[in-house]
Amino acid sequence: MSLLDRRLLITAGKGGVGRSTVSAALALAAAASGRSVLLCEVNTQERLSGLLGTRPVGAAIGRLAPGIDGVVVRPEEAMREYGVMKLRYQALYRAVFENRMVSRFLHFIPSLPELVMLGKILFHVKERRWDLVIVDAPATGHGITFLGVPQAILDTVPPGAMRSEAEWMRDILLDPRQTAVNLVSLPEELPVNETLELAAATRDVLHMSLGRVFLNRFVEPRFSEEERMPALGAHEAPLLEAAFRAARAHGIRSDMSARYRERLEEALRFPLTTLPLLHPSRDFGRSSIDELAELLEREDL
Amino acid sequence: MKTSASKPRAIHLDPLAALRERRVIVCVGAGGVGKTTVAASLALRAAVDGRRVIVLTIDPAKRLANALGLEELGNVETRVDPSRLREAGLDPKGELHAMMLDLQRSWDDFIMRHVAPGQRDALRANRFYQTLSTALAGSQEYIATEKLYEIYTRGDYDLLVLDTPPTSHALDFLDAPKRILDFLGNDSMRAVAGPALAAGRFGLKLMGLGGSYVGRALSRLTGTETLEELSRFMLEIQGTYEVFKDRATKVKALFASDEAAFVLVTNAHRSTIDEAVYFHDRLVDERMPVAAVVANRIHRDYLGELPTPSEDELHQALQDANHPDGGEPPLAVRLAQTLAEARSMARLDRRHLERLEDATRPTAQLRIPRFDADVYDIPGLWAIDQHLFPRD
Repeated sequence: MSLLDRRLLITAGKGGVGRSTVSAALALAAAASGRSVLLCEVNTQERLSGLLGTRPVGAAIGRLAPGIDGVVVRPEEAMREYGVMKLRYQALYRAVFENRMVSRFLHFIPSLPELVMLGKILFHVKERRWDLVIVDAPATGHGITFLGVPQAILDTVPPGAMRSEAEWMRDILLDPRQTAVNLVSLPEELPVNETLELAAATRDVLHMSLGRVFLNRFVEPRFSEEERMPALGAHEAPLLEAAFRAARAHGIRSDMSARYRERLEEALRFPLTTLPLLHPSRDFGRSSIDELAELLEREDL
Repeated sequence: MKTSASKPRAIHLDPLAALRERRVIVCVGAGGVGKTTVAASLALRAAVDGRRVIVLTIDPAKRLANALGLEELGNVETRVDPSRLREAGLDPKGELHAMMLDLQRSWDDFIMRHVAPGQRDALRANRFYQTLSTALAGSQEYIATEKLYEIYTRGDYDLLVLDTPPTSHALDFLDAPKRILDFLGNDSMRAVAGPALAAGRFGLKLMGLGGSYVGRALSRLTGTETLEELSRFMLEIQGTYEVFKDRATKVKALFASDEAAFVLVTNAHRSTIDEAVYFHDRLVDERMPVAAVVANRIHRDYLGELPTPSEDELHQALQDANHPDGGEPPLAVRLAQTLAEARSMARLDRRHLERLEDATRPTAQLRIPRFDADVYDIPGLWAIDQHLFPRD
């Protein structure tokens, strides 16, 4: 089944590996195939609008690019939406949410903030207003906790309001035809270790379907062994000295890229999608994301 | 009576003097910037210079943990074998110790001390306790500083270097005590669970909440069982609020004193630098001494002062050196591309670092270049030190 035919794609990985980049590029690739997309960020400083070169959207759904809407899901607003839906009556809603003490107290209820944020995202999956919902998940540890909240509630909370919410949410998350978790990694020690742990947790703890592993900032080999270690004279021109130092450093990076790709492929036993290290002349932004999206369009996702 | 003139301003500290004289160094910064290696490198330097040092790390890379001789077991203070340091060509006048913090265990140790023995198991199973000790933003930061303070007051070391948890938001560190105190002592919880506390009993009905308007609405959102669990939690934990408050005050006073200093670690990415600048401002506002801003993993410009060469110029240089220019595309073309890419990354970094420096002066600025491979051993930590404090 094609990755983009799913209803919900979750982008997970360690902090700083490029989750937002991959989420944005996937959204552009999906939009290019004619699908409508909702991009969600979870309780974080908004980044996706910046990467796509548009104005911030905040907690209200707004347009990021043709075919792509975006939203930042925060506990305050999600709680309010959940409350209105649950309590129905305006008077009751006011009694709870316009009481500052009570509304603050709600944020301390274990798992409730996560549940309502996840609930908002999954509500948008269920209503089918968009073909595809892409979630830029919180960084590794928090991401697993976040996605595991419905199951945790089903395991610990007796029947009641939170439990019935958790049930329909878990059904969407665990359905491999609807949902897949994509992992983002880097060809470096810590990110690769964390990706392997995350893959294991996705399969064995969350029981969710893995989509793709994106190995980001990948460096293809450019210099042979001999080219990196030239037999040069003792008094080399500074220009060549600099050039071969750069070539050696490039070689170390491309070796690491190959080695960590192999390690990931061996351990995960399915192919990776590599995304190249880019060298934007100005800041990493929309043009870089476009470049990656075009690569993804050519991949058979 | 505050006026704008009394707004605290950054002061310049000498980072090397701080390593020699202060008793606590706290390394802070966003996740993934290399805090752990910087913390270990600073500790190593102080040990070489003659102090008895311990570095407290949270989740070091396995190879770095091995290099420091750390076992998997958490919360065990271990001396780094001096022979490891000598193998790296170092002759330390002091001692380097290390410890991996087990944050969950630190929470259990800390809180169970203040709870009646009969209630400990129930408390451990309570979801409010689990939230407090794991999921609540700032809970890891809070307990890490608590453990630091415990070791500090014991007085076994000249210097403690703390590597803070890999949170995505560096600011969680400063806001942690307030969040924890909010959680334990917050008026909202007291308002909801208060009647039960006063009566010394629990259960939603007994709380006098079951029949109320707000109580009914709440239980529709959360279920009654959650509210009952909350009131049990509040009962079991009610004696600890003052303990927490007292410790948080003392830790804050220590951090703001001339016994301690912060080292702010960042990389050269735009968004990380935004966060570092914001964090620096907050530290200064709260009158916390900052010994240095360390920018890590800066891209190298191999060309230095040389102009960017064209493919023809590189081709000519190869010919002049009797070096074959072969391959497809030719070597000169690939070298030119590699040099230009490295230069563009280095220039991008430089632009961001200028902004960092403008925003955080007069705090000392330290720079570490991007190494060709990541650092996982003692010689690597020492190499970092030589970039932080170049010898002349």
